[in-house]
This record gives sequence, structure tokens and C-alpha cells, in this order.
Amino acid sequence: MSKRNSLLKKKRASEEMTIQITSMADIFTIILVFLLKSYATSSIQVQPSPGLKLPVADSSDSQLEALHVEVSEKAIQVDHQPVSVLDHFHFQSTDLQANGISNSLNQSFQNQKKKQLFISQANPDVKADKKVLIIADQRTPYVTLKSVFASAAQNGYSDLKLIVAKRE
Amino acid sequence: MNVSNEGGSHGKGASQDFDLNLAPIIDCFTVLITFMLVSASFLATGIFDAAAEAPGQATSDVKPPAVHLEVTLMDQSNIEVKLSGKEKFSHKLPSKDQDWNLTALQNELQQVQKKWPEVQSMTLTASNEIQYLHLIRVMEATKKIIPGVLFGGF
Repeated sequence: MSKRNSLLKKKRASEEMTIQITSMADIFTIILVFLLKSYATSSIQVQPSPGLKLPVADSSDSQLEALHVEVSEKAIQVDHQPVSVLDHFHFQSTDLQANGISNSLNQSFQNQKKKQLFISQANPDVKADKKVLIIADQRTPYVTLKSVFASAAQNGYSDLKLIVAKRE
Repeated sequence: MNVSNEGGSHGKGASQDFDLNLAPIIDCFTVLITFMLVSASFLATGIFDAAAEAPGQATSDVKPPAVHLEVTLMDQSNIEVKLSGKEKFSHKLPSKDQDWNLTALQNELQQVQKKWPEVQSMTLTASNEIQYLHLIRVMEATKKIIPGVLFGGF
């Protein structure tokens, strides 16, 4: 009889058991705080395209907002919009002028400059700046970079900010 | 979480034991953490400052220095250091172990800097097929000696 009673008690106890989620809430709080902290202190919001390998180097970090130019194996994007087609990191010969400036890229920089000037005319607090963020694959040859830099400089974007992955 | 107040005078013998319902909080946290994990970028990035000069245009109104320093990365990991202006020379730094001899380049630039302290920038050019990675490596090696870099060759 006593054995039966103890069995019943055990059964009742197991039925009333609840999952302890207090510790889980603690863990989640810690993870959330960590993520919020790293989210707020990340220097530049740069998200390279898949397959793009940034060169690794020791460099300073500073927060800045500028026009994004991404050079990957197959295309060049300006402000996240594809503007030039590349063939294994090289411009198509029909896209290049005699001085090495790319027609498509030049047109895109012109449009961006016009947009900046339009905004700066409407709002005196905003100034058209010379800065441009260059997010280029480490395998990009100098001949392509030359065209990018020349096209940018031609339209007033002469202050180049080269993005690199920080050495750990 | 269990909170009890057995010694209180509220109610008529009704127990004040209650469980704080943590399930909705956990739900919120799960959604927030998932969102942040997806949107967060774990790539630590930095910046190298450089400049580019448009063909036929000066980058600034600042008076040019007495000497102009130019570093050219050539094929087969050879480097050419050229000085023009009041002093002129051209030194070729051959490759070392089939890699850029960055130590020799640093020594060369230190000598130029010692003689011409006003030289704070150099023009960096390269052969057409030299990869961006090598330009960054050279910039990394020289930035403490000559902080300013102007891309040229166009």
C-alpha cells in the first residue's frame, strides 16, 4: 500500500513539472546585450558581395558615409547598383575611352554628382563631398583600378577611402 | 519565477503565489536575436586614405613640395623609387624571395624623408596586371613613413 502511495506521489510530481525558463531568459538577455553592443560600435556598414575578397591589412577605422563603389570579378556597382560589366576583373574594350576612363562608370559618377549637387542646392547644410568608398576585390588588377580612380576623379571624387578587412 | 507573499493581509486566505510568465519575453528575445544575427556584419573593416588626380587637374591649391616621390610596382615584384625636382634619382629594388622587398623600400623612403622632411606624400603607380592586394601591402608598409598616397599612372 505504501509503495503504491509513493508511486502515485511521484507520478503527480512529474505531471506538475514545468520547464525552468528563467535561466534561458538570462542567457538570451546576455546574448542580446552583446549583439546590441557590437551592432552599435561597428565602424563602417560595409557588406561586400558574396565571393568578393577584401585585402587584409592593419588600418585605422573611422565612421564615414560616402558613395560606395564595389569592384568585383564580374561587375562594378555604384551605390549598390550595377553599372559596368567586367570580364575577369577587366573592363570591356567597348566601354573604355582612349584615356582609360570607363563610359558607363563615368555616366554613373556624373549622375551621382548631379544628385549630390541638387541636394546641396536645396539644403545648404549638405555639401557635395569628394569622398568615395572603394570596396575592391584583392585580385583586381591595377589597369581596372586606374579606370575606376580616373573616372571618379574626373567627376570630382578624388578622396579615395580604400576598404580593407582588418587583420585579426 | 515564483513570488509569494504569505504574510500579507490581502484577500481572505487566498494564496498570493504566482508565476511570472516568461514565455512572451523569451519569444521577443528570440525574434530580436535572430534579427540581429541576420543583419549584423561580423566583418571588421578599416580604411586606407588615398587620393586620385584627374587627368590635367591639380588636387589642391597647396604649393607642391621641392621634390616629388614616385613609387612604381613593376612585374616580377620589382619596385622603382623615383625622386624628381630639386634632387633626382631612380633606384630599382629587386624582389626578395620572389616577393616585394618592402624592408628595402621602407629604408629608401626613410632616407628620402630624412633628407626632405616636407615630403609627406608619394605617387603610387603599378604595372597593369599588379593586383590590388599588392598595392595595399605597399601602402601598409609605407604609411608610417610617408602617410599620403596619390594614385597615378593615368
